[in-house]
Amino acid sequence: MDVRYAKTQELLYELKIAEVMRRELNTFSPVMTMSELRDILRDHRISGVPVLEGEELVGIVSIEDLIRWLSAGGEDCAIAAEMTKKPECLYADQPLVHAIKRFDESGFGRFPVIDRATGKLAGILTKGKLMEGVLRKLESEIEEEELRRYRASHIFEDITADYKEIYLTYDVPGKDFDRAGSASTGMKRNLKRLGIHPDIIHRLAIASYEAEMNLVIYTDGGVMEFHISPQEVFLRVKDNGPGIEDIEKAMQTGYSTAAHWVRELGFGAGMGLSNINKCADKMEIDSTPGIGTTLKIRMFTGPQHKPDGGA
Amino acid sequence: MRLSEVVDLLPARVVYGTDSLLAAEIGTAAASDLMSDILARVEVPDILLTRLNNTQVVRTASVFGIKAVIVVRGRPIDPKIAELAKQEEIVLLSTESSLFESCGKLYSNGVRSTTPTEDAQQA
Repeated sequence: MDVRYAKTQELLYELKIAEVMRRELNTFSPVMTMSELRDILRDHRISGVPVLEGEELVGIVSIEDLIRWLSAGGEDCAIAAEMTKKPECLYADQPLVHAIKRFDESGFGRFPVIDRATGKLAGILTKGKLMEGVLRKLESEIEEEELRRYRASHIFEDITADYKEIYLTYDVPGKDFDRAGSASTGMKRNLKRLGIHPDIIHRLAIASYEAEMNLVIYTDGGVMEFHISPQEVFLRVKDNGPGIEDIEKAMQTGYSTAAHWVRELGFGAGMGLSNINKCADKMEIDSTPGIGTTLKIRMFTGPQHKPDGGA
Repeated sequence: MRLSEVVDLLPARVVYGTDSLLAAEIGTAAASDLMSDILARVEVPDILLTRLNNTQVVRTASVFGIKAVIVVRGRPIDPKIAELAKQEEIVLLSTESSLFESCGKLYSNGVRSTTPTEDAQQA
């Protein structure tokens, strides 16, 4: 089966009827008349009301009932004669997706909603209320992300200090191919929130990802440190071996010491370091065989940043 | 064309894709089994076709900004790859067609390659 998820679909499972139903209710008693109903529906611009006897729900009466009554002559009578008795109900704790299914199957315009614990009427759900609830939730989720992004992107303006820097580190385990790249994709999201220029994010994500793959493929793991200041993003990638024998050779496109299994996975073609060099504004590499390698990448975000990239 | 039309054209199975992600308009594609080769490009293709079926194809798409990954030859896709595609919001399709056939069908429907990797060869 296709694994298809949509954000709205997820919302329909998450949101409960209680969160979107109408709670302020006009209710009727069965002895009130159809002409009173007509006036109330008109004055409150509503399309239906539950009918209660004491606290017990005995029926629901809607604009459709009113029309039927009018076209049959409109002779005044008690609501009890025209209402739908023992109407189908929904429970307040049910997810919206269930309500949608019931609206679809029944063709009804509204359902009374019952509180499962007390068995009493808690509200009424119409298709309009349902739609409104979903839209409101969608909107608030979007606003939340925007607000987060706004806050993060103004952090350097909002905080005062003589020297400002955000310092983020990731521990990258070696040989864990499934997790490989998660530091770089996570960092890409962080940089977006911080409001860094998209071109710099793009180049840094590629450089960081290639460096992360090198850690996973060739070493037993290492640390990636990101330093973000108003002037630059600085990345230091540090491992404890095995180190690079000949850095000059390693920088050449196509030179590789990768094992066959690495190539089978789509890496190890000798392009990693040259890709990093191409993406970085500045790159430095220090390596001692048997000790380890430190790679430093700088992206200038201040006035000297080069929007067309390349070093 | 839209990604949803690509699904019908190949045909492909949607391993991960929401209606709004599948509505994306696409114009360019790249085919490779070498992720560094993709990452060395100057332009970002909309689609990546590959015979690789590991998590790194999705990571590469996410890092590089590729909208959809198409795994050819019906190679099995592990649920953890589908899960990653969901997390990274990358459309993941699987087709029984070969890489050659898939590219041919896309090309005949107006999908083109991005600028060749001249830049990578110079570097």
